[in-house]
Amino acid sequence: MNRAENALYELNEMDELANGNSPVHRFSALAKLLVTVIYIAVTMSFDRYDLSGVLMMAVYPYVLFQLSGIPFRTCIYKMRYIIPLIAFVGIFNPLLDRTAFVTIGRVPLSYGWLSFAVLFAKGMLAISASFLLAATTRIDAVCAALRKLRMPAEIVTVILLMYRYVSVLVEEVGVMSNAYHLRAPGQKGIHYSAWGSFLGQLLLRSMDRAQELYASMLLRGYHGEFLYTAEAGMAGRDWMYLLTWTAVIALLRSVPVIQIIGNLFM
Amino acid sequence: MHMADVLLSPGVAATMYAASGTAAGVSINRLRRENEPEKLPVMAVSAAMVFAGQMINYTIPGTGSSGHICGGILLSALLGPYAGFLSMIAVLVVQCLFFADGGLLALGANIWNMAFYGCFVGYFLIWRPIMKGKALSSLPVSARITAAAVLGCIVSLQLGALSVVIETSLSGITDLPFGPFVGVMLPIHLAIRLVEGLITAAVLVFVYKARPELIKDADESAGNSMSLKAVLCILAVVTLFVGGGLSLYASGNPDGLEWALFGNREAGYAENMALDEEAFGVESSAAETAAQVQETTSFLPDYAFKDNDSALGTTVSGVVGSVVVAGCALLLSCIFGFFRKRNAAGRADVN
Amino acid sequence: MIEFRNVSFAYEKNRPVLSGISFHIDEGENVGLIGANGAGKSTVMKLLLGFLQGEGEILVHDIPVCKDTLAEIRKICGFVLQNSDDQMFMPTVLEDLMFGPVNYGMTKQQAERKADEVLAGLDIAYLKNRYNHRISGGEKRMAAVASVLAMEPEVLLMDEPTAALDPYNRRMIINTIRKLPQTKIITSHDLDMILDTCTRVILIGGGTVAADGPAEEILTNKKLLEAHRLELPLRFSGSSI
Repeated sequence: MNRAENALYELNEMDELANGNSPVHRFSALAKLLVTVIYIAVTMSFDRYDLSGVLMMAVYPYVLFQLSGIPFRTCIYKMRYIIPLIAFVGIFNPLLDRTAFVTIGRVPLSYGWLSFAVLFAKGMLAISASFLLAATTRIDAVCAALRKLRMPAEIVTVILLMYRYVSVLVEEVGVMSNAYHLRAPGQKGIHYSAWGSFLGQLLLRSMDRAQELYASMLLRGYHGEFLYTAEAGMAGRDWMYLLTWTAVIALLRSVPVIQIIGNLFM
Repeated sequence: MHMADVLLSPGVAATMYAASGTAAGVSINRLRRENEPEKLPVMAVSAAMVFAGQMINYTIPGTGSSGHICGGILLSALLGPYAGFLSMIAVLVVQCLFFADGGLLALGANIWNMAFYGCFVGYFLIWRPIMKGKALSSLPVSARITAAAVLGCIVSLQLGALSVVIETSLSGITDLPFGPFVGVMLPIHLAIRLVEGLITAAVLVFVYKARPELIKDADESAGNSMSLKAVLCILAVVTLFVGGGLSLYASGNPDGLEWALFGNREAGYAENMALDEEAFGVESSAAETAAQVQETTSFLPDYAFKDNDSALGTTVSGVVGSVVVAGCALLLSCIFGFFRKRNAAGRADVN
Repeated sequence: MIEFRNVSFAYEKNRPVLSGISFHIDEGENVGLIGANGAGKSTVMKLLLGFLQGEGEILVHDIPVCKDTLAEIRKICGFVLQNSDDQMFMPTVLEDLMFGPVNYGMTKQQAERKADEVLAGLDIAYLKNRYNHRISGGEKRMAAVASVLAMEPEVLLMDEPTAALDPYNRRMIINTIRKLPQTKIITSHDLDMILDTCTRVILIGGGTVAADGPAEEILTNKKLLEAHRLELPLRFSGSSI
């Protein structure tokens, strides 16, 4: 499989996940979007040395993974992009901040390593939350929610249409790559002599396609607004979802649960 | 160059959302005023194409690595800055919301770092002056396209990398002091940006030859009244390019960090390219990750970050200096540009 | 109900694609529009739908095709594009089916009912909530037909409806076309399909109507077809293979 085919596979996988029918899937996109934003913002606001506090925030993704039945494995795959960046930025902390905060046996653990661990944990939690939103919410529902949040219709329309054509074009790139490599054995990528024409050809075809697409929209009476079948509003249970999670997140942020549990056992 | 949620404090993230939101509001206004409904499908398909274009591996001659296209420049050359910016937003939103690439909190920052610079700075300060300016009107169009695309890519992507550093530093995420951080981030990118600019230029030149009407500002009749401004802009850009890029190479003996990043071409180059792609979420594999981590850790002990080594100091000050100069120029012209446009429109209504 | 009166069109000056074509199509007729590549079949369709403006007069229900009547014309004439991916631009099949009706003033509920009805009529109710980018080529073609039928057109224009379909899906589309009561204009190189679905054939060639008559008559005229780079339908060609 070339990269485009890989990406197509990933696209399909996300579609499949978002099409599920778990309790989490059934909550409104708006409620899920808001909870996700609140959760990530609160998690990021923890002190850089507060490892126990950050770890307690894992409650949210844990519960959602359990309720939705989304495999955690797929999420780990998503993390591959971001782990290097976090590692790159975070690795300087242990090197620059060497004050020991605890000594285990004879090995001192520095504050730098502690803040590195916190950074890493925060990163994983943020990605898990974003991933859970993407994996439990259909595109049309998200777009309806974005409209509800007053995102301009033009952007939402472009997002909707783009999403539809991403798979078409990625598939085309996959076919083109295969066709290229069939006639260029041993090359890893596109040779510089074909840099312009490879994507250029696709670009020209895409522009024609956009014309056809617009024709097709006009033929069916397009005059400025797109329609969303998904209900954007929030029913009682969606409010419950939002309020419950907000309360839980607020509790986890303000009360050092791990210490309390620790004290109970001491 | 996706920013992660974790590298931003909520305050910085909110600020970046506000900044990007304002730019988006201006663009939407502009789009509505132009009132070209047929543009929406073109924007959507172009955005999908940029997304798909990320899946193409371009071989960089002489190395085993690959580069990619620069979406911001490509889109604004095809659609103009406003529609291009909105299309880039669509790309980033789809990546963020449906593929969980780039965080939800970091979306505002990502739009700013990746779309704003490419579409607005790249277009107004580089693309249009070079394409329309009198100073260069004697050059053939494809040469101008190449120059504009390469410079545009380098400048906008370097500004994006600089923003990543600034945002991360302001968020108090890392102990790494600002100077060395910039010194690490910007030079690694320079070579890659150059190649990405060339790829983008190749695509645009191809399109220009096949269908010149698709490329903005590519009509042969160059020149409205912006020649002086154009020259100034180009000068600013060249300053940045020379200051940031060449001072690095010119600083003589490749020691420490520079050696690790640029000197050891045979062995190090490929890994360095991989390191960059890794760091910015373009390509990945476990082996390259391992290589990157190993390299990151191996060159650091040799290098004292605390007291600025003089070679590094030169580079950093070169970069920072020209960035500041270019930044001021850019800020001023943006401010003036926006005010002119707003006055012309008679209202400053955003969204 | 559809009338072309001396219509001409040129993409580039001095190189006309169509020079003075005229024909009349009655209500309920099924017409096959055939001709070589580049003969101008799609141009005829585009002129009829108002995407191109040529010389001469085109009337639909006595309404002239011009800028002001486009909405009306396009309500009467439904167009099934050759590439279903270009036609089905919404994320899901249901949304695509509702797109047209809602734009023409139906409420969401009415539009969804209409969509259900059309999908059931074509036996593809199971596609309702599927993503457009996740269904097969044959399903896409059926869904594209459905998205046009949901607008209740009086005339159905189809561009290569059987292109790139497997025999089973091709047969399915043919049967669907035969069942639909609308007036139809179908362009294709699949002359067997034209024979199965159309009673009349208009052959475009050399910028004019080269032949116009009953399908059996034209599609058995070997000389005429070959002069226009076409071949007899397989069933008439004997065992040439």
